[in-house]
Amino acid sequence: MSSSQSMLSRRDLIKRFGAAAVAGTGLFGFSNQAWSSKSAHIVIVGGGIGGAATAKYLRLAHGKVRITLVEPNPEYTFCPGSNEVFNGHETLENLTFNYDTMRQRYGVNVIQDKAVAIDYAKRQLRLGSGENVSYDKLVVSTGPDFIYDAVEGYSAAHAAGDLPHAWKAGAQTAKLKAQLDAMPQGGVFVMSSPDGAYRCPPAPYERVSMIADQLSRTNPTAKLIILDSKNRYTFQEHYEHYWTERYGFGTENEVISWVAEKDGGRAVKLDARNKTLITASGEKIKADVINIIPPHKASKFAIDAGLAQGQRWVDFEAKTFKSLVDPNVYVIGDMVNAPMSKTGMIASNQAKVVVESIVADLEGREPGTPFIANNCVAIISDDYGMTIADTHRFAGDRYLVQQRISEVTDNPYVRHIRADLAKNWQRTFRKEIFH
Amino acid sequence: MKIKNQLLKTALVACLALPGLVIAAEAKLSDAEVNEINAQFPMPSGKMLGDSCAACHGTLGAEFNEGMPPLAGMDRQHFIDLMKAFRQGDFPTIVMHDVAYVYTDAEIEAMADYFASLPAEQWPAPNITESAFLNPDGTIKQIGGAQ
Repeated sequence: MSSSQSMLSRRDLIKRFGAAAVAGTGLFGFSNQAWSSKSAHIVIVGGGIGGAATAKYLRLAHGKVRITLVEPNPEYTFCPGSNEVFNGHETLENLTFNYDTMRQRYGVNVIQDKAVAIDYAKRQLRLGSGENVSYDKLVVSTGPDFIYDAVEGYSAAHAAGDLPHAWKAGAQTAKLKAQLDAMPQGGVFVMSSPDGAYRCPPAPYERVSMIADQLSRTNPTAKLIILDSKNRYTFQEHYEHYWTERYGFGTENEVISWVAEKDGGRAVKLDARNKTLITASGEKIKADVINIIPPHKASKFAIDAGLAQGQRWVDFEAKTFKSLVDPNVYVIGDMVNAPMSKTGMIASNQAKVVVESIVADLEGREPGTPFIANNCVAIISDDYGMTIADTHRFAGDRYLVQQRISEVTDNPYVRHIRADLAKNWQRTFRKEIFH
Repeated sequence: MKIKNQLLKTALVACLALPGLVIAAEAKLSDAEVNEINAQFPMPSGKMLGDSCAACHGTLGAEFNEGMPPLAGMDRQHFIDLMKAFRQGDFPTIVMHDVAYVYTDAEIEAMADYFASLPAEQWPAPNITESAFLNPDGTIKQIGGAQ
């Protein structure tokens, strides 16, 4: 915060901006007359949550702009909710959406292909087919890629084969589920949980909780081990509280064991042939099912296109999410270097900031002030949920982050209704992005 | 019943100072400090604020079939009264007291105007063709306006 910037009083703020902000909102049947570039072409790379939200909200904001979405897959499967596939409380089918509504309702030209390169000077996106798509504005929302070799011996080929990370929901989720269901009685499941920023901070612990719930019915003598490359995690108090109650966490007979980085928890090497993970302290852990969640980085596309500028993540202009490489290119979602959790809700709300920035540019006005919320409702079981509320308030060259996490409670009603709220949230969010 | 202020963490995290440079600084912030930072920039519009609620309350707040209440078409004063009560922790909620505490009076009023302007109707499922949100040909109307 710069002290040289003028400080307006609260009343001045309301006087100067409140009335205009109120007058500018809620126009029913908004006219498109103000558009100067009627045929502006907005091209979006990536049909996940960030890309789909950009396409939908852009069309909500304007009827005539041309929108093209480039996505290699014919369908998208939501990650939120996909851990509940492991205890049979969710199906991948229910989490999977095609792009028909994008095409028909929102008039989006969906190209099923891979984006391979950006020609910034010509403002063209090159596709896998060799075709070039010209754009006025390009939005890149490709999600993350994985640093497989953080665990020596692990690879993309392993992930696609017998050692799925299942950190992008879909076929790998189904394979891991099948492996867990086929695990011998009293078998061992081991997970490597990453350090650094990764998508959905509580999700490794949620996954282990869903697996433990399933195994409590089908394989009650099985053991679950989390080898962690960090010492703290989101909702830790909630998970440990519940695991202590239900799974004897912290006792000799615990079903779930958590090994922090400081206690030698970092997995450094995979011996795939012997189904063994080796930790930083040299301990060898043989398991029936291994789930390595690799650390994340920006997508290969973003790195190859120079958007990451040689860094692990992609930087951006704080107010607009414009790339620092080219102001006609926007970057959002799990690949950006933002002081925000890597969640679907964050990506969807970054998309709305991008839409406002694009519309403002085309209308020749200053974009409105961004505001980005992330309200996460997570679960440990069907009868235990918890919430985290983050808001990211624009502060010039940065964001002001405020966060509250729900308290651990033994009140069964509060626990249960929080878990119900999580299911509510998942359903509503899927509709928000794809309906 | 008054819910105890349970602010666990208020952090100021710097995002981008210079290209490629990320400064992360954490500090406890008072309401006055938050207000001071807010006063330097135009207030986010009611649409910007309101649309960030959509993951839980539906597109344009128009999810009428779930536990989280719809906001589209909500009475302006009712919205304001509820949000201020959440903000003050006047009664126990599942999550809204942890959400509402960040908003100023003016922001709450801007959101109230935005939601009051929208039709109180369920956001159409893909197989629905007749809706206040759709044109006769099934394409989306420009509802909710620009910023």
